[in-house]
Amino acid sequence: MKRLFGLLLAGIVVFAVVASGCISPGGETKVTVTFLSTQLNPPEERAFVQEELLKGFTSDTNIEVNFVPISYTDMVTRLEGEMQTGKVTIDVIGDLHGGMDYMASKGWLEDLSKMPKLEGRTFISTFEKYSYIRGQKVYVPWMSATYVMVVNKEAFKYLPAGLTEDDVVKGTDKWTYDALLQWAKNLKEATGQPQLGFPAGPKGLFVRFLHGYIYPSYTGYQAKEFDSPEAVEMWNYLKELWPYVHPSSTTWDAMADPLLKGEVLIAWDHTARIKNAIETKPDQFVVVPVPRGPKGRGFIVVLAGLAIPKGAPHKEEAWKLIDYLTQPDTQVKVLEKTGFFPTVEEASGKLPEGPLKILAQGVQAQASTQDALVVMIPNLGDKGGQFKEYYKQAFERIVLNNEDPATVTKEIKPELIKLFEDIGVPVP
Amino acid sequence: MERRSLVPYLLILPAFAYLLFFVGYPLIQALYLAFTQNGALSLDVWRRTFSDYYFWSAFKYTIALAGIIVPTQVALAVVLALLMNRVFKGKDAALYALIIPLTISDVAAGLIWYSMLSPYGFVNKLLMNLGVISQPIYVFGYEYRTREFFAIVIAELWRSTAIVFVIILAGLQMISREYIEAAEVFGASYWTRLRRIVLPLLKPSIQSALIIRTLFAMQIFGVVWILAGRDIPVLAGEGYYQLTEIKDAGVASVYALIIAGLSILLGTLYIKFLRAEYLEVGE
Repeated sequence: MKRLFGLLLAGIVVFAVVASGCISPGGETKVTVTFLSTQLNPPEERAFVQEELLKGFTSDTNIEVNFVPISYTDMVTRLEGEMQTGKVTIDVIGDLHGGMDYMASKGWLEDLSKMPKLEGRTFISTFEKYSYIRGQKVYVPWMSATYVMVVNKEAFKYLPAGLTEDDVVKGTDKWTYDALLQWAKNLKEATGQPQLGFPAGPKGLFVRFLHGYIYPSYTGYQAKEFDSPEAVEMWNYLKELWPYVHPSSTTWDAMADPLLKGEVLIAWDHTARIKNAIETKPDQFVVVPVPRGPKGRGFIVVLAGLAIPKGAPHKEEAWKLIDYLTQPDTQVKVLEKTGFFPTVEEASGKLPEGPLKILAQGVQAQASTQDALVVMIPNLGDKGGQFKEYYKQAFERIVLNNEDPATVTKEIKPELIKLFEDIGVPVP
Repeated sequence: MERRSLVPYLLILPAFAYLLFFVGYPLIQALYLAFTQNGALSLDVWRRTFSDYYFWSAFKYTIALAGIIVPTQVALAVVLALLMNRVFKGKDAALYALIIPLTISDVAAGLIWYSMLSPYGFVNKLLMNLGVISQPIYVFGYEYRTREFFAIVIAELWRSTAIVFVIILAGLQMISREYIEAAEVFGASYWTRLRRIVLPLLKPSIQSALIIRTLFAMQIFGVVWILAGRDIPVLAGEGYYQLTEIKDAGVASVYALIIAGLSILLGTLYIKFLRAEYLEVGE
């Protein structure tokens, strides 16, 4: 009995050693690159990355990739720990611009200008510009996303005087928030129902419209001029617009369904959340730039990049992975599966005709408008939720509860600004 | 002898360990999160909660929902139980139909009612096809909060009256026929029998049903979240929202503690004022 137990114990020990990878069971050892990413974390996207995207890389280069989906806070904690102990295990980091900015400010990221040139691709110049932080090449632009407007072609029949379909599709000077109001009015009068929709439900992204689109369009800033006269003007505009906005908007989290069901003819949402509508009925919808306000055409660009931490164990292999992920073909594949847009110009030439092209054209049109006022989502980490809450509250109180915009914005502004001061991030 | 006295403790140990780990530990954690700020004792989290824009309306809506749903439910369940407590053809089938909603989760119930009441849902389509209305009736949206409120009430009544019904039916079936027969002999009418015998004897069941339902009503969340989102804030919903969206674990803990506090308070009140009369035990 005792002997059997001893054998069993020995067996377990041997198994544990082998399983933990301390002793590989012979054969050549493959290099495994550890890739931490705050992006592509939802199960479907994760499966695509692991089963498809990275398999392609491994078969090309014989380098294994350990893809670790992780939250921003966890990633920063882990990286900080590894930096302090000097035992870095992470090779590649995939994160949004704001996170990269933070990690670069801590001095955790490698300067990538010393790395070999990535051939055969031209990074979109705005993205390239953002990837240099404080004079250092911090990351390689990886994927981008934005929020746009979708118009059901039916709505073009009710355009207000002086505004043409071309104005809207190209985003000319005439495509303003006032024109949108007039259009929404026409639509309601003609159809008897409000035809403009926003994802203002509890999980909807309407708050991005508030701080990243209409606020900068009217005040030039996201938070700095929160209670300025221009901001009050903006809130009054929204109050005037709201009767022409579909009343179910406060329960919608994504606009693809309402668009497909014909509940609304014009909607604003994240590209990934309207992708489905365009894929289902590509003949019916066009993607257009958002309107402009007095200070320009504010819109958010979500930019994700790839970086290498200082002291990464497999720097060369990591660069190969970055090279692979930014190739035009790979970027098109990512767009097809996830709705994240390429960061290299060559990718647009490789897009198949159809829904994705419609989306990409709209995004491109928005990005290349003359009066573009590009906005980045502020990087507040855990406090990001609180930041959004202030805008939501202001909206609910002013537009839905009809409180005075000047009073409400004066009340909320100090708390909003304090949020940035507490974290030490400049007020955008 | 000594060994034997240990047995009861050993038997209770697993349950005790379970409670300690899954109830005691989170409770202490919640208390810690609610009463400290950066590791020091502070009431700042409570101040944050009470000054939160949604707090008082969440409180108000939770109480209002419980105040409407629970009494309606109990009345409805008593009537249904009285109807079902007799022999008739198809009784089993009727019983199953009544109990089916018990098997459905609150989120699923919310989704069912959402798809029925949505502008392009079953109810609107039916009314439109019958020519009663020409445009769909909107139930969901901030402007229609009263309608949303009643949609929640209907969904909750539909979903959770079954549990009250089961408890009351069980209580009803425990009432000895002898009392009723004795009353019949003395010529008591149905109403007299109901008022003087059945309802007093049902009190323990009604009490347990009330306690269970009121406590669950304090935690109402899934149905509200699906049907009204944050148009109608409720305590449990705000707790969830604070934790997942705003990422303020302290305020979320305060919400949880308030729900717990309310539950304890209401439970005590019920037990105090609804003391059951056990005829069989008394003289």
